[in-house]
Amino acid sequence: MNKHGWVARSLAGGAALALGLTMAGCSGGNGAASRPENEIHIAMYGDAGNTVEQKIIDTFNATSEVKVVLDKIPGAEYQSKLQTIIDTPTAPDIFFNWGGGSIKNFVDADLLLPLDDFIKEDPQLKDAFLPSVFETAVIDDKAYGIPMRGTQPVMLFNNSKVLADAGIANPPATWDELLEDVKILKDKGITPIALGGADRWPTLMWVEYVYDRVAGEGLFQKALEGDTSVWESEESRKALGMLRDLIDAGAFGTNFDSVKFTDGGSPALLASGKAGFELMGSWEYSTQQSSDPAFAAEVLGYSEFPKIEGGLGDEDNLVGNTNNFYSVHKNTRYPEAVRDFLKLMYSDQFVQEQVGIGNLPTTNNTEKFLDKAADPEYAKYQFNLVKEAPSFQLSWDQAYPPEATVTIHTAVAQFFSGQIDEDGFIKAMQSL
Amino acid sequence: MTTTLAPRRRPARQGGPAEGRPASRGGSSVGRPGFVWALPASIFFALFALVPLLAVAALSFTSWSGLGDPKFVGLKNWEALFEDPVMLQSLWLSLLFIVLGIVTQTPLSILLGVWAAGNQRNRAILSAIYFVPLLLSSAAISVLWRALLDPNFGIPGQMSWLFGDGNVLGTQTGAIAVLIFVGMWQFTPFHTLIYQGAARQIPPVLYQAASIDGAGTVRQFFSITLPQLKNSIITSVILMVVGGLTTFETVLILTNGGPGTGTTITAFHMYQEAFRRFDFGTGSAIALVLVVISTAISFAVVRLSGYDKMRSSLEGL
Repeated sequence: MNKHGWVARSLAGGAALALGLTMAGCSGGNGAASRPENEIHIAMYGDAGNTVEQKIIDTFNATSEVKVVLDKIPGAEYQSKLQTIIDTPTAPDIFFNWGGGSIKNFVDADLLLPLDDFIKEDPQLKDAFLPSVFETAVIDDKAYGIPMRGTQPVMLFNNSKVLADAGIANPPATWDELLEDVKILKDKGITPIALGGADRWPTLMWVEYVYDRVAGEGLFQKALEGDTSVWESEESRKALGMLRDLIDAGAFGTNFDSVKFTDGGSPALLASGKAGFELMGSWEYSTQQSSDPAFAAEVLGYSEFPKIEGGLGDEDNLVGNTNNFYSVHKNTRYPEAVRDFLKLMYSDQFVQEQVGIGNLPTTNNTEKFLDKAADPEYAKYQFNLVKEAPSFQLSWDQAYPPEATVTIHTAVAQFFSGQIDEDGFIKAMQSL
Repeated sequence: MTTTLAPRRRPARQGGPAEGRPASRGGSSVGRPGFVWALPASIFFALFALVPLLAVAALSFTSWSGLGDPKFVGLKNWEALFEDPVMLQSLWLSLLFIVLGIVTQTPLSILLGVWAAGNQRNRAILSAIYFVPLLLSSAAISVLWRALLDPNFGIPGQMSWLFGDGNVLGTQTGAIAVLIFVGMWQFTPFHTLIYQGAARQIPPVLYQAASIDGAGTVRQFFSITLPQLKNSIITSVILMVVGGLTTFETVLILTNGGPGTGTTITAFHMYQEAFRRFDFGTGSAIALVLVVISTAISFAVVRLSGYDKMRSSLEGL
């Protein structure tokens, strides 16, 4: 055998080995046996609320032989990381999600464990939660998620001190009042509304609410079902026109595209009095509380999104995250331990801890703990909003499967910064 | 091509037909390194570069969301790529990033490198300070600058004469300027290091002869230092080209490709398609485009500059 033959053979051998390893990585070991012994891993959206998740886990681990481990993933990249690992041997046993479009692809790929057997063994896993909330994670008549954390409606938060100084007695109840308040604050040299435009999803909240108020919840539902002509409708154009008026009135200042919510930029604008309002999910409260408890308790105000005269949508409609859920991977090694852990999601301790940081679980026993909330008034206000809302629209970027997110986010950001006009926005939404 | 350097454990493999040939091509008794020397690096390269590259090439002809098995779709991804306006724009942006990166970093790092090669007072301390940005991770640097450039609570809020309303990252020009500046801040130390080492290698006799002939510092710099640094400049520029094409973390954290798609360079577009839209087929196709372009550019730079001839700048000395 000559030298070159040997070289070629080594190379071929190396390549074969490499390929073999890659193949093994792709297909092997998806079964339960390769998962860590006596551990259940939870993939969790990383944020200030994780302290409560950890407390519940500590409670569970104190008595269980199988230990739960919380793997926190920074929020902005949560969905990317999740989809990358979920069909691999390192997939989590349990993972955080928003129900709806956020788990649809996983169900279609047959990766999730239907929880109906768990529910048969312990009916409370379903009956303890508000039915409308539980339904968000039911796909093809099978339950795939147990509600956790809480419901997170989007509300219009304000700095009550700034409003008082500007002579604004009450938060705006109508769109016209909002435009007036914007003018008053702007004339005082204050950014009327803080907006973390660089994150893009805070911008989307404005679009969602104006569309809901002007056109009603039906427009988006039709679009989601595939009827893209609704984006060209008269109501759609009216909503975009009203948004354009608000932006042109200087409601968000001029530099919102450089501001983020996720790095604390826009909440700081509100807390420091440099802005009067911020439209944000109910987690604004826990965000402000973790940086400045006194501000959250005394100065932070909140109200419903203003009513729009002549709009088709109900003035009590909400948008936001209907709830968060824990879903279970079908390859979990310890289904019984997972089931027992999920039972904690309606426990008194869970509800009490969540309420304590301003979250609002949607369980039957929530109402009796509202008095123990960090801010009982805030908790009750929110609870009633959710209870009385005729429709609660899941955020558009969660209602669509995740691959639509970039298109939606880019479209709203470009519309707000004036890079595209109404036709450009309509075209982008129709491409979904 | 030698038998002397091969592992002793396998004499049999070295025998056979090869026996009787001269130990090395030149007939010299000093052996050149054999293939075995290159084996560890080659295996690594094959495992971590060639195999993934082939896998990416294969994936570019499939539709795959990361769940289940990839589906073969032929040329569909490639056809879509050529009609994608963001892709075309991203290529122009990448080119702009490369050119601006070279234009801003090269003069600065040559000057700093040549200065740092001397033996002035405080040189070592100052060089060490200039070196610091290189020790930080790109993610840390991006987060740092993101905070420093907050329009309301950062530098722009205090320097409105320069930054206006502070919407630095909200305009395309501003965002590009920030990314170029941060790139310069981050990578100039590295290229300075290349030039410092190269400048130290220039024989002092050249400067001595020049000063006897009456050449001043500036003349010496342009007639001796720069020509002597030619090969280092080429090395540094190739690294900047490849680095510019693969810039990613700073874009992700500082601008997220925005405003709109204003700073969506090709590498970021690839990430977005693969890991945000979960279209690994298109992402792989963009990755291949990047591989082809960066190889072609590096090849062209090497050819056009005569670097491939490996001509020493010290010939005749």
